[in-house]
Amino acid sequence: MTQELADMQRAPSNRMPARSGPQARRRQGLPPRWFGALRPYLYILPTFVFLIAFTYVPIVRSVWMSLHESHVALARPVFVGLDNYRYAFSEPLFWKVLRNNLLYAVATIPTSVGLGLFFAVLVNRPIRAAGLYRSALFYPTVLPMAAASMLWLWMLTPGYGLVNHYLGRLGFPDIEWTGDPRYAMWALVIVGIWKYTGYYMVLLLAGLQALPSDLYEAAAIEGASPWQQFWKITFPLLSPTTFFVTVMAIINSFQSIDQVYLMTRGGPANATNMMVYYIYQVAFRFWDMGYASALSTVLFVVLLALTVLAFRVMHHRVHYA
Amino acid sequence: MVPACVLFLAPFVWLTLTAFKSRQDVFSLTPRWLPTKWVLTNFTEAWQALPFGALYINTFLISFGLLAVQFVTVSLAAYAFARMEFPGRDFLFMVLLGQLMIAPQSTVVPNYLTVSRLGLLDTRTAIALPYVASAFGTFLLRQAFKTVPRELEEAAAVDGCTGLNFLWRMLVPLSRPSYLAFGLVSVTYHWNEFFWPLIVTDTARSRPLTVGLGVFAQTAEGGAEWTLLMAATLIAVGPIILLFLVLQRKFISSFMMSGLKG
Repeated sequence: MTQELADMQRAPSNRMPARSGPQARRRQGLPPRWFGALRPYLYILPTFVFLIAFTYVPIVRSVWMSLHESHVALARPVFVGLDNYRYAFSEPLFWKVLRNNLLYAVATIPTSVGLGLFFAVLVNRPIRAAGLYRSALFYPTVLPMAAASMLWLWMLTPGYGLVNHYLGRLGFPDIEWTGDPRYAMWALVIVGIWKYTGYYMVLLLAGLQALPSDLYEAAAIEGASPWQQFWKITFPLLSPTTFFVTVMAIINSFQSIDQVYLMTRGGPANATNMMVYYIYQVAFRFWDMGYASALSTVLFVVLLALTVLAFRVMHHRVHYA
Repeated sequence: MVPACVLFLAPFVWLTLTAFKSRQDVFSLTPRWLPTKWVLTNFTEAWQALPFGALYINTFLISFGLLAVQFVTVSLAAYAFARMEFPGRDFLFMVLLGQLMIAPQSTVVPNYLTVSRLGLLDTRTAIALPYVASAFGTFLLRQAFKTVPRELEEAAAVDGCTGLNFLWRMLVPLSRPSYLAFGLVSVTYHWNEFFWPLIVTDTARSRPLTVGLGVFAQTAEGGAEWTLLMAATLIAVGPIILLFLVLQRKFISSFMMSGLKG
């Protein structure tokens, strides 16, 4: 359409009829007409080439590979049907890994999303230094998890670490955070909460800022306390956002790998082995690509289901009639 | 509020102070916040212990090189989706948004095989390839491009400014805030990424800072040498933290958007 506008604009000055043949278009330096119809497809082509090559084909390939036995000892993959899945479901470690994922999620998410909501409400008020508070809580989001892991390994070091020092003053014994199967998961949980609370706060803040302010004005006139305002207005109206952030946090927690690799290597005794780290071990330590693909497919399905749920909720964001 | 902020800031302050401490300070049984003597040797030692020059160059090239490529792919696709009518447009857009629903971790195995088949193992290109197409970026810019009024496009067309010209001269400059938001999220993500680069790299030829740091920490030399390790960590995160300090508001508003769509 824009092309035609340009045509009409140029045509008179060139003393050519507005709708001219291909030769005339070439003489005017315009691309041929078929190009106009193809143009949008050419524009999205680079994106789609990479989208298909590195997102969609890999999913299909992963499913296909999961139906084969494929590892270094075999010259070529052998079709085995659902054997890899059957193996996974009969393997105690698979269930332990899933349990660890759930434990990590249950320990991290209510705390980080709850604190995130609490802080979001606090920094959303017109208070002095609100920006400073936001930054102080948000900055861990910007740090690499690799750096956060180093930092917390040092904070949690037995003997010299800051955390044990202060716990010791409260009368706790010296804890072997990453070396003791009873505490290793808690080390990861602490890092997770510290790293993500600020991010969830910011996401919830976006939701808060979209809430209608006249409701609060009305509530203030009616003499509602801040506590009542929170439970009667903010919390119910914000619940779709809160739910969305919670689902995102669950997805996030299922993708955890950096801190597992750097802080505990899944140990001790698999106490902190989680899904992505397990896939990493199977694929790149044992080079069992068939089984790793089956695990990847399980992860893919779980996360897809959660994401669809999150998008559904975002779509039906109408929370009051 | 204040105690919470202190609690969140404390670990980073502790990291920074540790990097300036001598070994004796660190291995005292009652930790002290301030160094008894401020030393800089940790930084010089760390700089020698890790190939920081190469790691820095790699990280810069990966995150900013990728951003440059994404700038092209995302702008073109957003232009088509925002301002053109073509058969299958809405369907194709949904296919693109599908990327937001697929965790990159679940495609690591096949993508590793692809990169290996292409002979790109241990290259910076391999680290960037899976992210060339960005549903988040395309979505963000499509939104921005849509807000540019039709009349402006028609007026521009009168002056012969159409097609890619219009994209480059009008849409891109008018959407600067969205580009900045996308740029910050993308650069932060790729500066910080660890797992995928860990898998596809083997040497300092292609490794980014995060992987270099992680690998160093697991060697005998790096483990438990806390002053050295904290100095190395500080060197690795310096630029991204500085960028954050300069653009705090922009960072926060950009990450706000990152949640609403993947």
